[in-house]
Amino acid sequence: MTHLYDIVKFGIYALMAFSVLAAILAVTVRNLFHAALCFAAVLIGIAGVFLSLHADFLAMVQILIYVGAVMTLVIFAIMLTERFGDNSSPQNNSLTLAAFGLAIVSLIAFSTISVKTRWPIQENAGALHLSVGELAYALLNTYVLPFEVISVLLITTLIGAVIIAKKDRVS
Amino acid sequence: MIFGTGIIKGMLVTLKAFLASYFKGPHEGGIFTVEYPEKRLAEKERFRNFPFLLYDQTPENLRCVACDICAKECPPKCIYIVRDFDKEGRPLKRPAIFDIDFTVCMNCGICEEACPFDAIFMDHEFEIAGPDRQNKMLYHRDDLLKSNEYFNKIRPTDAGAIDARRREAEEKKKAAAAQAVKAKTTQPQPEPPKT
Amino acid sequence: MAGFLPDWVLVIKSVLISIAAIAFLGPVTMMYLTLLERKVVGRMQNRIGPNRVGKWGLLQPLADGVKMLTKEDIVPTPADPIAHFLAPILIVVPALLVFAVIPFGRGMTAVDLNVGLLFFIAISSTTTLAIFMASWGSRNKFSLLGGMRSVAQMVSYEVPMVLSVVPVILITGSLSTNDIVLAQGGWGGLKWFIFTPWGLLAFIIFYLCGVAECNRSPFDLPEAESEIVAGFHTEYSGMKFALFYMAEFMNSFTISALAATLFLGGWQGPVLPSWLWFFMKTYVLIFIMIWFRGTLPRFRVDQLMNLAWKFLLPLTLINIFVAGFWYFAPNTIVRVLMSAGVLSLSFWGLQKLNQGYAPEKRVYQFGD
Repeated sequence: MTHLYDIVKFGIYALMAFSVLAAILAVTVRNLFHAALCFAAVLIGIAGVFLSLHADFLAMVQILIYVGAVMTLVIFAIMLTERFGDNSSPQNNSLTLAAFGLAIVSLIAFSTISVKTRWPIQENAGALHLSVGELAYALLNTYVLPFEVISVLLITTLIGAVIIAKKDRVS
Repeated sequence: MIFGTGIIKGMLVTLKAFLASYFKGPHEGGIFTVEYPEKRLAEKERFRNFPFLLYDQTPENLRCVACDICAKECPPKCIYIVRDFDKEGRPLKRPAIFDIDFTVCMNCGICEEACPFDAIFMDHEFEIAGPDRQNKMLYHRDDLLKSNEYFNKIRPTDAGAIDARRREAEEKKKAAAAQAVKAKTTQPQPEPPKT
Repeated sequence: MAGFLPDWVLVIKSVLISIAAIAFLGPVTMMYLTLLERKVVGRMQNRIGPNRVGKWGLLQPLADGVKMLTKEDIVPTPADPIAHFLAPILIVVPALLVFAVIPFGRGMTAVDLNVGLLFFIAISSTTTLAIFMASWGSRNKFSLLGGMRSVAQMVSYEVPMVLSVVPVILITGSLSTNDIVLAQGGWGGLKWFIFTPWGLLAFIIFYLCGVAECNRSPFDLPEAESEIVAGFHTEYSGMKFALFYMAEFMNSFTISALAATLFLGGWQGPVLPSWLWFFMKTYVLIFIMIWFRGTLPRFRVDQLMNLAWKFLLPLTLINIFVAGFWYFAPNTIVRVLMSAGVLSLSFWGLQKLNQGYAPEKRVYQFGD
């Protein structure tokens, strides 16, 4: 089976390389439209990494939410933006350096956190499959507070969007 | 009234058409398509397509006198006629060249209506498609010739009426000629007018 | 064979066999769906449909394929070459991928993912990206309009579609398509979810949303030929255009297959072999799709959005609660009566709320 592991390992590394390449392209490409597509590729690549880590549910939700919904939002933003394809319109602003610094800092922070944390590792992780019942139990019992906080946030956004839309119609 | 009842009603209509196409005849709501090359509809008598030239009995005896009226009346100008001459250079009452360009002809039938000699008529032939549009679609005099029997076959009503009219005219002419001959022989010469 | 080849080759071979089977099944299904559609719609319009190439026109799809392959491939000058080229390829990928989790028969699932249903929904939602690439990459106003309509429609209909599936997950407690089929095995293979009140409603909503997701009539606004030429594939010709069609027909097949799996018991059924049951159910649903197309005119955009957000979405939410009640209800009669009553009452109420103002008698200002 060693050959099979090699093949799988190669596949995972290829997937990661693909994601990183797409990420680099997403921030460097001049055309905003291409950047959005590269961003979608990054998200799909990350979903693939999740899949390779046996986090099937997470991978699917990643694709459903990020590629299916968030990318659609980005698409709409691009579609409704005037003259975005114009090369004369600036693609970056004066905050480039600051953003770069922030990205470096957060990269260091996240990597130290993930390295320093003691992750509980199970021996038979490959055979572990989360059932829907367990997932529901985790969401509605163990992590009910963050779950509810997120739902309140989403409801607020929803109501805000409705109010903005309504005001537009009255005027 | 519940949501969707109208949709169900409409869908039953199409379902009925779908089932009728298998179980019913062409006039009961089924398929009325006639699959053309194998089966065909009966030809309508007044159907008109490209024109042809009519001859009586033999192909030399064609009715066209090269009067050029049809060529002048033709809206897309697809008819080209050259009069024939005999050896002494006198014009004859028949065309030397009678060409119709079927790529230009629009099947209007004005040539038929304009012809005072009942020489050109609209045909029923419509399967003249071919791979060569440069030469094959330009019909010359001999390609256009068709007999009076053929005309009687495809358009019996029109042909009968025209034949009857022509026969009548012929007889009248004959009678007039006979009258004239008789008058010449029996009656004295009219007196010259007095001055 | 097992002793002859190393293990890893065997694994790869078994993977390749299922991939090849799906890669073959998808396009062939699409080819013959085009023929079926033309035949059935023709019959509904008192025509015969294609019947010249081969017996009953059975070789017509091959002739169409040859025609498509040999046609000139035209790329507009101002088009974005990368997006324009990639879009038709990318749109086929999700359409083919979702075949992997469909249980074609007893033990005939290519990949029995334990999140199979979620996989289906997630993968088919990425179709919007390809449509967006096609519409924006063409640099054509009709393409862009079609793309915007398509994206708006797919996003709107995905919500009730996913929510209509939730009762099934609630009752079976699993996201695996195989488990869902197994859960409908009672009564000699006839205990399908469609025979419950919530199942019937969820099936109707899922099916309608599925039809909308594959951009089929009467939800075919993105490619409304009378308004915006051909929508997002206006600027495509030849094989690229054929790929769009292939994706559309494969989507309609997989949506019908998934609806059969979730609500019509999948391959469950008495007497006949399991795969035959599955294909029978799927093709009945496909026939209904074609029937829709032969019957119904196209929606208006506002009607489309109203149907999704004001009617189907509240109904699915109520349906989830009803399914929860069904799960915990004490006995059969109570739960059947209660859930049927609640659902029909809410259906009626939503219909009343959705009815706009319609005057009793039309008043014409100028006409008599």
